[in-house]
Amino acid sequence: MRALLMIVIASATLAAQTGAPQAPQVTSQDLLDGLKDPTRWLTYGGNYSGQRNSPLTQITPENVGQLVAQWTFQTGTLGSFQTTPVVADGVLYVTGFNNNAWAIDARSGRQIWRYRRDLPDDLKLCCAAVNRGFAVLGDRLFMATLDAHLISLDMKTGSLLYDVELADHKLGYSATVAPLVVKDKVIVGIAGAEYGIRGFIDAYDVQTGKRAWRFYTVAGPGEPGGRTWPEGDAYKRGGGSVWVTGTYDPQLNTVFYGTGNPGPDYYSSAREGDNLYTASLVALDADTGQLRWHYQFTPHDVHDWDSTQVPVLGDLTINGQPRKVVMFANRNGFFYTLDRLTGKVIVAKPFVQTTWAREVGPDGRPVLLPGHLPDEDGEKTCPDLGGGTNYMSPSYDPATRLFFVTARETCATFFAYDQKFKAGEQYTGGATTRPRDQKNFGALRAIDPVTAERKWEFRYTSLSSSGVLTTASGLVFAGDGDGNIMAFDSRTGKNLWHYQLGFSMRSTAGTTYMVDGRQYLLVPSGSALTAFALPQRP
Amino acid sequence: MTRTMLWSPLVLMITGSLLLAQGPPEKNPAANNPHLGNPQSIRSGMALYRIRCADCHGLDAGGYRGPDLIAVMAAGTTDERLFQTIRKGVPGTDMPAANETDAPDDDLLMIVAYLRKIGSVAPTEKPVGNVDNGGRLFAAQCASCHRVAGRGGRIGPDLTRIGAARSRAALIREIRTPSEFIPPSYETVTVVTKDGQRIRGAKKNEDVFSIQVMDVRERIQGFVKANLQDVIYEKDSLMPAFGPARLSDGDLNDLVGYLSSLRGADLSVR
Repeated sequence: MRALLMIVIASATLAAQTGAPQAPQVTSQDLLDGLKDPTRWLTYGGNYSGQRNSPLTQITPENVGQLVAQWTFQTGTLGSFQTTPVVADGVLYVTGFNNNAWAIDARSGRQIWRYRRDLPDDLKLCCAAVNRGFAVLGDRLFMATLDAHLISLDMKTGSLLYDVELADHKLGYSATVAPLVVKDKVIVGIAGAEYGIRGFIDAYDVQTGKRAWRFYTVAGPGEPGGRTWPEGDAYKRGGGSVWVTGTYDPQLNTVFYGTGNPGPDYYSSAREGDNLYTASLVALDADTGQLRWHYQFTPHDVHDWDSTQVPVLGDLTINGQPRKVVMFANRNGFFYTLDRLTGKVIVAKPFVQTTWAREVGPDGRPVLLPGHLPDEDGEKTCPDLGGGTNYMSPSYDPATRLFFVTARETCATFFAYDQKFKAGEQYTGGATTRPRDQKNFGALRAIDPVTAERKWEFRYTSLSSSGVLTTASGLVFAGDGDGNIMAFDSRTGKNLWHYQLGFSMRSTAGTTYMVDGRQYLLVPSGSALTAFALPQRP
Repeated sequence: MTRTMLWSPLVLMITGSLLLAQGPPEKNPAANNPHLGNPQSIRSGMALYRIRCADCHGLDAGGYRGPDLIAVMAAGTTDERLFQTIRKGVPGTDMPAANETDAPDDDLLMIVAYLRKIGSVAPTEKPVGNVDNGGRLFAAQCASCHRVAGRGGRIGPDLTRIGAARSRAALIREIRTPSEFIPPSYETVTVVTKDGQRIRGAKKNEDVFSIQVMDVRERIQGFVKANLQDVIYEKDSLMPAFGPARLSDGDLNDLVGYLSSLRGADLSVR
């Protein structure tokens, strides 16, 4: 009897050691739950709403001044991070420049595996070989690549599971967006609007990599919106790239994505009309990619104002009524709160100096001011091509009901000229100059999304491309353009802590996670990741 | 047979094959650029610049997201260096490499010719005025702040190549009204310490929490703003305005003549 028991125990032990595969590490339910388990960070925006608001409360306004660096990870490669790391069960999954990627021990900053992509030497990139992060489901990671592919990697080893082409990189297509997994599909967007591409959003089967649907962000002839382009081939090079991750409302089964500028960027005579669905927010059925509604922030954009900002989902009380909304701080300088069911504007006001439009009219269209159509002689417009904000993620804190955004105060002189299209060559039809007396600056601004009014600001001495992170303890983390990561009191904007990282943050202000009972603040900047935590008690 | 004799042929063979593999050293096409000064090439170079470069470097090459190329050239960058940077890019930055299929050498050479046209003052703009007198005026009035060929002050910009970088009109404007435009790193600032000490100088760098200054005695130092009583940003340049009362039109003409003659210096030690 004892011998039999021994055999049973031995086999059970062996099975545990070698045996049955573990349950998948990240399930669809985990993605739906988002930051309910705040030790993890599983999607680009922390959860499907894109709020970047963590429930973690170990680091507080009272103790944030004691934060100290715990470790630094150096990629050992050139190029800067724009990534939001995925954090799952004590391991960080991080993408970097040139589609390098790493799994890193979240406790110590030590590498577990590394992935290198063999990229072709004829990439067409307007804006550096960056990447904004992984998506995850099961034991798989998903990355969009600079040569316009979607790849899946094994979470345990970093080895390639599949590799599917989105579009031909030789024609100017590329991809830098962090994918978004919704149910059994991985959703990606394409970049390259400065090269005369036709933009799209795609969904692929998580397991097989087979394409499930495609939504073209540039409407073709005969399609709804097709008449907002001139007859002929203009739509084929109409731009509308998608290079920042969207958000998802599971109840509505709808994904929300901001779309990029029309092409060519500045020479508008090549594309008379509103140019749908560029510079817009599109709401798509997550299963089919069908358009549910759209709202175009900048009809017939001529200033390179991609609307590729994060559409942040939230629930607000407006005039005593609960409303499902999308909050959107746009590169064109306006902040919008839209109805999430219809796409109608609830409120829209400038959050930086804007000289091109007086207001957003009752019909939802901007009321244009004269003198802002670029030409051979140049027209000065505020904001500049970089916009009032850009790809850097904002944050919404439901506790204070404030929306936090990195704002840019800038102007530029925009020029436009006719340019012949040649496949694979830059196709912007213009350029800009900086007025000599222009004094640019950046700021972190807190906006009430019910009124679109500014509640507070913290000014930087330079322009910043840092995102924002908030925590339930009443903290806002953000950075300037000079390499400082800072913490603020979310109610007042008072600066509580800073640390000079040596290089500015781009795209995010980092993420926060918990391991072994300690809350970490993880900050990518330059080619380094730095993790901060409170000192450990002896 | 000594060990040396045994090894010698082998060494020669290896060295020879290495030399063969390497071939003759690659010649930089910009060393002999047929497009320099050719109006047709410069027009083509402008068209290429507008398509490939202007979105980052600005339509006027004065810098936007990418560096100010006029300043890069004024600092003495050679055509060969410009060519190589366009060809190979700057790894790790937004500046991509240009492969030869998409961008043949000739395209790059025309871009270089265009940049040279807009970025430098042609040597045909001959210095006028009495250059010797201009040099004396410079030594007396300017050299305590400005450096030429390794000699002079450091609080103002180095003027070793200023004649190649600025037209006469620009030089006159900058001497008569220096506060009209103050380049970055030369803006005037006064920091006031908690004990009331005032330190005036050129702002070299700054962020929310600190400021870095070269004071008028050329001491470079950083200050933590929390430890200061005040930081005063001044609109006027540290350089005084040299109006007609201070510098007559005749002397100005001579001084500009001298400055226009400054087109670089060879500082290498032989």
